Amino acid sequence: MASIELKQVSKIYPGSTAGVKDIDLKIEDGEFVIFLGPSGCGKSTLLRSIAGLESITAGDILINGEVVNHVAPRDRNIAVVFQSYALYPHMNVWQNMAFGLRMRHTPADEIDAKVKQAAELLGLTPLMQRKPSALSGGQRQRVALGRAIVRDPQAFLLDEPLSNLDAQLRAEMRLELVRLHRKLGRTTVHVTHDQVEAMTMGDRIFIMKDGRLIQQGPPLEVYANPADTFVAGFLASPPMNLLAGRLVAEGDGLSFVTDGLSLPIPAAYRAVYAPWVGKPVTFGLRSEDFHAGPTGDASVPIVLQVEAVEALGPENIVIGRIAGSEKPIAARLTRHYSAQAGEMVTLHADLMPMHLFSPESGKVIPRPRAAASPLRRHA
Amino acid sequence: MKRIGLHAGLWLAVALILLPPLWVLRTSLVPESMAYSTDVFPAFSLENYQGLFGQKRFGTFYLNSIIVALGSVILALPFAAAMGYAFARFQTGGRFGRFLVLSLQMLPPVALVLPAFAILRSVELTQSLTGLTIVYAALNIPFLAWILMGFFEGIPVDLEWAAMTDGTTAWGAFWRIVIPVSLPGLAAAGVLGFILSWNEFLFALVLTGSKTATIPVALASLQTSNGIQIGKVSAGVVLAILPLIIASRFIQRFIVQGLTFGSVK
Repeated sequence: MASIELKQVSKIYPGSTAGVKDIDLKIEDGEFVIFLGPSGCGKSTLLRSIAGLESITAGDILINGEVVNHVAPRDRNIAVVFQSYALYPHMNVWQNMAFGLRMRHTPADEIDAKVKQAAELLGLTPLMQRKPSALSGGQRQRVALGRAIVRDPQAFLLDEPLSNLDAQLRAEMRLELVRLHRKLGRTTVHVTHDQVEAMTMGDRIFIMKDGRLIQQGPPLEVYANPADTFVAGFLASPPMNLLAGRLVAEGDGLSFVTDGLSLPIPAAYRAVYAPWVGKPVTFGLRSEDFHAGPTGDASVPIVLQVEAVEALGPENIVIGRIAGSEKPIAARLTRHYSAQAGEMVTLHADLMPMHLFSPESGKVIPRPRAAASPLRRHA
Repeated sequence: MKRIGLHAGLWLAVALILLPPLWVLRTSLVPESMAYSTDVFPAFSLENYQGLFGQKRFGTFYLNSIIVALGSVILALPFAAAMGYAFARFQTGGRFGRFLVLSLQMLPPVALVLPAFAILRSVELTQSLTGLTIVYAALNIPFLAWILMGFFEGIPVDLEWAAMTDGTTAWGAFWRIVIPVSLPGLAAAGVLGFILSWNEFLFALVLTGSKTATIPVALASLQTSNGIQIGKVSAGVVLAILPLIIASRFIQRFIVQGLTFGSVK
């Protein structure tokens, strides 16, 4: 069992902009965390640094409170599952899974028992004599997991383990990984650029961009309160609607004004937003905060000219523009809501979950928490 | 019409390549006295082969060649593998280092013969198979390292990382994972090195003596003041080519089969 802590960790590659800078984070013992970010954001570098496969340029990495900067990968007792699976091509499944134990001079009968147990857990028993080249992608994935599990490491580091699988298998493995984590209770770091994995799998997510840690927290918390426009855009599909405009005072209220649209700011946020009156701001509202009818006090009708409707089955994504605005707006509505391209429709935006961002820094302008989301995270 | 022209051209090319060695084979199997006959196959005789192995002690030279060629490859491969790996994985020496290694191959061999001779003489290894083996190994290393570098570059570093988190050292990952995965490449490089050593003439001529001559030197010595013993030369050439044909069969298999990784993606 292990807690993992990073203090001011930087990894700089000479002559390259890649790498990570000043990362501070702590992963508690037994936690399942997600490193989320676009490719090249440094999340895999960070993972490899934790594993000891990359030396860090500055800072400290602590496992169970001990600095392990100069501890070799094999002595960190951490298992890594690579995106490529990295199965040893000249060994069969059994040998692949037993390799780590053999390197640690585990007695043969113990190796046998552990490999057998892991194979059963992952449904690999009939494949033990096969070489990796004779396995399907999903099976290879399982072998890579099995190889990590048999060693009973104190932490698992998973580097985009699902990205090479097809959609259906990925959904299955997502559940399987969560199930395994619950069963084994080991600290797990899962690196991904997939927002669905990020939202559904982890206890906490760490969002990275350009080598920096942008935001951390429980998935729904981050979802509801993005730290900046990047997180707002990255963590959902379609991304949060962002509109450039300005904040103006109207009577004793505030309004966000953009081309062809004026939105009253909910009374609860007036005080904190007051200093931004007269300044340009970016307004953000998620696509699911648009509804076919009014939903409450903070509900505002918005007229859209429909450009396209993406019927996904369970829901319809309506993409349209406000008259006089260039920026398309995506609204997520139920499958019962129908609209045609070219049609003018009136949708009702619930403004309680809205955010304002500073257009220069992209950072969110802090506001009081909105009323608790009716969604509850699975235990 | 176009196809017929194409095939005619191909047949011509095949004939150009195949006829000379076939004529050598034919000459080796007819009596010396009829070697220059214009008949396709005047008479069958093994006297050239018997003569070679009899008074010319060709068996000894054959064995010398095998010892030197095999020995030099076995000696060179570990060094070449380590070197190629260092170039491939750690970029040791950078581009300049790589160039430096290859630049040795650009020197005319004759520029290296005399220093090699001087060094071997100082350690009394001239006229010995050991000396020649060491020199051949040294000549092979840059070339083999270069080939293996390309091969190692194709091996995903993930494999080594996986091994290192599984409990090996970096050296252990190289030894237990990279080397076994590279066996086809090592075999291909080994066969190429063997062929180079097998064919080498200049160094062998300078560095060996009458008892330690290799096949190319022995064949050259058949060119006497009484003229060339063309029958025996042909027989010698046929025997010299034989291992190369076997070797190229091997190398073909390894190169064509390539590596079916299956571990990655």
